[in-house]
Amino acid sequence: MDVAMTSTTDPVCPSCGGHVSTTDRFCEACGAELKPGELAPAAPALDTDTEPTVEIHALPPAGPCTSCGGTVGADGYCETCGTKAAKPRDHFSEQPAPWVAGVCDRGIRHTRNEDAMAIAADPEPGSRALLVVCDGVSSSLDSDVASLAGARAARDVLTAGHAQGIGTESSRSGAIVARLNAAADAASDAVLENTSPDSPNPASCTFVAVVLEDGLLVAGNVGDSRAYWFPDASEAVALTVDDSWAAELIATGISRAEAESGPHAHAITRWLGKDAPDHTPRTTTLRVTEPGWVMVCSDGLWNYCSEAAPLADLTRQTAAAHGGDPLATASALVDWANAQGGQDNITVTLARV
Amino acid sequence: MADFTAAVYQNEFLPDGGTDVHAIVTVDCTGAGAAGQTGTGDAGEIIIVDTSGSMGREGVQAAAFAAQTALDQILDGVWFAVISGNDRAQLAFPPSAEPVMVKMDQYTRQAAKDAVSRFYADGGTAMGTWLRLAARVFATVPSLSQKHAILLTDGENQHETPEALTQAIQAATGQFQCDARGVGVAWQVDEVRRIAQALLGTVDIIPAPNQLAAEFSKLIQNAMSRGVAQADLRVWAPQGAEVLFVRQVAPTVEDLTSRRTSINPLTGSYPTGSWGDESRDYHVSIRLAAKGIGQEQLAARVQLTIGDNVVAQGLVKALWSNDEALTTRISPEVAHYTGQTELAEAIQDGLAAKAAGDTATATTKLGRAVQLAAQTGNEEATTRLRKVVDIDDQDTGTVRLKRTVEKADEMALDTASTKTTRVKK
Repeated sequence: MDVAMTSTTDPVCPSCGGHVSTTDRFCEACGAELKPGELAPAAPALDTDTEPTVEIHALPPAGPCTSCGGTVGADGYCETCGTKAAKPRDHFSEQPAPWVAGVCDRGIRHTRNEDAMAIAADPEPGSRALLVVCDGVSSSLDSDVASLAGARAARDVLTAGHAQGIGTESSRSGAIVARLNAAADAASDAVLENTSPDSPNPASCTFVAVVLEDGLLVAGNVGDSRAYWFPDASEAVALTVDDSWAAELIATGISRAEAESGPHAHAITRWLGKDAPDHTPRTTTLRVTEPGWVMVCSDGLWNYCSEAAPLADLTRQTAAAHGGDPLATASALVDWANAQGGQDNITVTLARV
Repeated sequence: MADFTAAVYQNEFLPDGGTDVHAIVTVDCTGAGAAGQTGTGDAGEIIIVDTSGSMGREGVQAAAFAAQTALDQILDGVWFAVISGNDRAQLAFPPSAEPVMVKMDQYTRQAAKDAVSRFYADGGTAMGTWLRLAARVFATVPSLSQKHAILLTDGENQHETPEALTQAIQAATGQFQCDARGVGVAWQVDEVRRIAQALLGTVDIIPAPNQLAAEFSKLIQNAMSRGVAQADLRVWAPQGAEVLFVRQVAPTVEDLTSRRTSINPLTGSYPTGSWGDESRDYHVSIRLAAKGIGQEQLAARVQLTIGDNVVAQGLVKALWSNDEALTTRISPEVAHYTGQTELAEAIQDGLAAKAAGDTATATTKLGRAVQLAAQTGNEEATTRLRKVVDIDDQDTGTVRLKRTVEKADEMALDTASTKTTRVKK
C-alpha cells in the first residue's frame, strides 16, 4: 500500500481520488464539483481509488477541448466545434517515467470504458517498471469500477514489494512471482469490495501484470489480457497464454485465426470476481538481454493483431514514427485499434527497455 | 416570473458520411403574468381601424363597435391609442395633432370610446401610412418594452404603391408586433399576411362585420396575457457548420431563417416577440462536416433568451453510427412538421395557381395538400380544403377543383394555411 497516501488526512475528490483541500469547490485534477460533507478522508488508497466511475459528474472535465482547443461549455460540449468532451474514465493516460506509459480508451462501439490500467516505474530507464491491465467483463455490473480498483490495488502491492529472496536469479524470480500472486489477491479483493453482496451479476475482470526489475521480466495473467516482449533484433515473445475458450481450442491444434474468430472466441475460462473459482496468475519469467518493448494490453488491441510477430512489427513501426516515445506510441496504437473498428475498450501499456 | 423550458425531439444518429441534423425544439412558457405588470417595462397597444369609403356606414359602425369592445379589454395602466386609416392615417385618440399615447383608466377609456363612435367612412386605402404613424406613436413613450397593434382592413392597398407598403413594413419591423385582420372578401390575403408575418403577428379573415367585436376582444385578451415583453431564439452551431433553416412550426409555420442577427460568428438570434403561457415548436436544421463512426458532437444549442439571459436551452446532437436500425429511424416530430410545412406551401401555391387560372398546377398542389393534411392528421385543414376541392382519394391526393367556391372559404383556407397541429403523443 502506498505509504504516502495513508499518511495524509487530506480529503480526496470522490470522482478521481485526487487530493483536494476542504475549501476547494472543484477538483484541481478532474474538475468535478466537490460537495462539502462528501469529501472522504484519504485513508486506504484502495477505497479512494475505487470511486472514480460510480457517478458521471455533469460538470465538464477541466481543460480545453481535445479536438480544437476551444472552451468546453457547462453542457459538456466544446463551445467552438461542438465536440463532446470525453469523460475522464473514457480516456486516460499515465506516464510514471519517460520510458513507461499507457493509454486506456473506451473505443468506439462501447458506451463505457471497462478497461483499466495502473502503472508505475522508477526514473532510471530500464530499471523497474510495473504494468497492470484489467479488462472488466461487460456482462457484469459495475465492471468499470471493479477493474480500475483491481488494477490499482495490484499496482500498489507490486510497488510496495521489494523482496529479493536470497539474491540469486531464481530466488529473485520466485520472489517476484510471489508478489504477483499477492497482487492478484489484492486485485481480487478490490473487485469483491466493489460487488454488492446481493448482486445478481457480480463484477468481474481479467488480470495481467508485468514486473520488470533488474533485467528480469515476470508476467502473470488470469483471463485474456496479454503481455508481450518485443526485442528490437530478436523474435517477439508472447509472455502469456489466454485463459479462454479460444486458447483451449488452439491447444487442441486448431489455428489461432480460426479459434479467435469462432462464436465463443471471447469467452474466458478464468477471471477475478465473486464467482471466480481460482485467480492464481499463470506466470512466465524471462531474462532481458537486449533493447526492446514490453507491452501489456487488452483484447481491444490484440483483436486486430493477435500473433506476436506482426504485433511486434506494428509496435516497432509505430514507435519509429513517434520518435520512440512510449506515450505517443501507446496513443497511436490505440488510435490504430479505433481505426480498425474500435469494437472493444482498448488499453496499451509500454515500457521501453 | 415566467418559467421557460425547452425539450428537443430528434434522431441524433447519422449514418456514415451523414451531414444534416434535424430537430424539433419545443419551448414552453408558464407564469408569464400580464402585459406591463411584470416590472420589466410598460405595455402599449394601438388599435388601427380601416375607415376607407369601401367600409360603408354599416362597416364603420361595426368596426367602431369592435374597437370599443377591444378598448374594454385593455388593462388599466397600459398605454394606448387609436388610429383611423384610409389613404392616410389619423390619430383618432388621443385627439392630438402630434403623435401621443395615454395610459388606460376609466376616463381615457370612455373618451376613446366616444372618439371611436365618431368614425365615418371616406377615402381610399394606404396601409403603409397607418404602420408608419403607429411606429411614431409608439416611439413617443420610451418606457414601452412591449408594443402591440391590431390592424383591421377591408380592401386592397390601392392608394399607395406595393413598394411604398414594403418600405413601410420594413420600417415597422422590430418596432412593434401586429395582428392583422381582413373583413369581408375584397382584401388581399398576400398583402395583409406580409404585414402580419414581418411584425410577428397573425393573419385571419373575418367574413362578416358582426364577427368583428368578438375577434378584436380575443386579440386584445391574448395581447394582455403576454407578460413576457420580448424574447429571442438563439441558435449556436459549431464552427464550420451551416444553419440550413430555423422555422417556427407551431402554432403556425413561420420561416425565421432570414431574420437572423449575429450575436457572434457561431450564434444567431431570431426575434420571437412577446410570450404568454404557451408552447411553441421550432424546427432547426444544421449541416455538419461528417465525422467518424462512433463520434458524437453537438450540432446546435437552441436557447430562448430574454435580453442577454438564457432562460431555456435545448441541445441538438449528432452521433455517427453504422447501426442501420438507429440511423434509419425517423423522428415522428420532425416528420410531422416537415409535412405540415409542405402542407402550408402546397395550399398557398395551389391557391396562387388557381387564381392565375393554372388549373393543372392548382389541382396537383391542392391534391398534395389534401394528402399531407390526411397524413399529418390536420383535420381542420382537411375541412377547409373540402370547401375548395372535391376529394376523390385523400391517400393518393386525387382531387377536382370545385366549380363554384365561396370567396371567403378560399381566403380562409389561405390565411389558415400556416396553422399547424401538434404531434399526437
